[in-house]
Amino acid sequence: MSPNGTPMGTWGFAVQGLWRDNPIFRQVLGICSALAVTNLVMNTVVMCAALVFTLSLSATTVSILRLLTPRNIRMMVETLIIAFYVIIVDVVLGAYWPSMRASLGPYVGLIITNCIVMGRCEAYGNSNPPLGAFRDGFFNALGYSFILLLVAVPREILGMGTFLGLPVPFFATPAWDKWIIMVMPPGAFFMLGIVVWIFRDIQQRREKG
Amino acid sequence: MRGTRWYPIAYMFFVTAGFSSVVIGVAAMTRERVEANARAAFQSAVLAVLPGLYEPGLSGPEVERRFVEQVSEPDARSAGAYTLRKDGQVVAYALPFVGQGFWAPIRGVIGIAADRQTILGITFYEQGETPGLGAEITRPAFRRQFEGRILAREERPIRMRRPGTELDKNEVFAITGAAQTSIRLEAIINQAVRQWQEAL
Repeated sequence: MSPNGTPMGTWGFAVQGLWRDNPIFRQVLGICSALAVTNLVMNTVVMCAALVFTLSLSATTVSILRLLTPRNIRMMVETLIIAFYVIIVDVVLGAYWPSMRASLGPYVGLIITNCIVMGRCEAYGNSNPPLGAFRDGFFNALGYSFILLLVAVPREILGMGTFLGLPVPFFATPAWDKWIIMVMPPGAFFMLGIVVWIFRDIQQRREKG
Repeated sequence: MRGTRWYPIAYMFFVTAGFSSVVIGVAAMTRERVEANARAAFQSAVLAVLPGLYEPGLSGPEVERRFVEQVSEPDARSAGAYTLRKDGQVVAYALPFVGQGFWAPIRGVIGIAADRQTILGITFYEQGETPGLGAEITRPAFRRQFEGRILAREERPIRMRRPGTELDKNEVFAITGAAQTSIRLEAIINQAVRQWQEAL
């Protein structure tokens, strides 16, 4: 259901997750991983894929079990479900892509504590049917992902002169003095701050107009 | 039934059992691959600290081939170290070490020249230290410090010092902000090296 009480189609979920209630620039959730894994585009893509998988499926599972789950232990059950999907991702990465698992370090495991996941399970999955919960989770994860990519792409290009590890014209040449700070933690704060600022500004202008 | 006191307990029990069995199943299915990955990581670590065997981007099968063909397994004469030999003579030793770091075990290999005291290189193939602090031990800037250092024949063959101090020939700079990792790593390496020196 949308805030005004009418049933919502896929388009409605998309608008809400990607734009109106975007987890990063509107709800300001999941900032920790947004700062930590955005120094290389490849890491960001894998992290986002892991979050899309975890969030959409755990919201769906929470929703399927919602009528059976006793209210007083629901958060324990939600944490268990989220941890289950995250461990699956971690095990599969460890088996098939160990170098990626090593470079993401502890951040895959930390998806368990990513506020967006628990937030969506509590706010939507807990009290709505599975199909809606899946779409809600899926689009919220995409809303997180596209902001992360907007942060990651400039960071990698300005800081390393590469995109997905491939040299970028001009930025990979000696003419560009690499901004190492962009791939270090402070660069994440600058980029994320700028992105949130721009998107909030656009959003507010549109709401006024 | 849902109103009873034991329902939440039974429910949690069954849900946990259900999800856990799936996780155990997936882990069992991928175990062989995980073990092969761990073996490959160890083999490239050994190649990386021996002279002339490793370059970045080496494929898995190539690592395995070079390891099997070039590196000799530890024997009584090498005191637990893998060796690189030429015409039967030891050219270099690769000594594995393991110990508890700040968060998780640190596993690595240290390369030592035929004189049994010059360090050729060091590499870590498993660690779980804090990213940006203790995990900096995996960075080339930290690891390269070891190259050419001379192991002392004393209680602490290699020592870590506060950055900025003057270094002796068996000393390297520790990592700022990661005192625990540095202290433990020093102890881990020294324990392995001491044991090896005594056994030789």
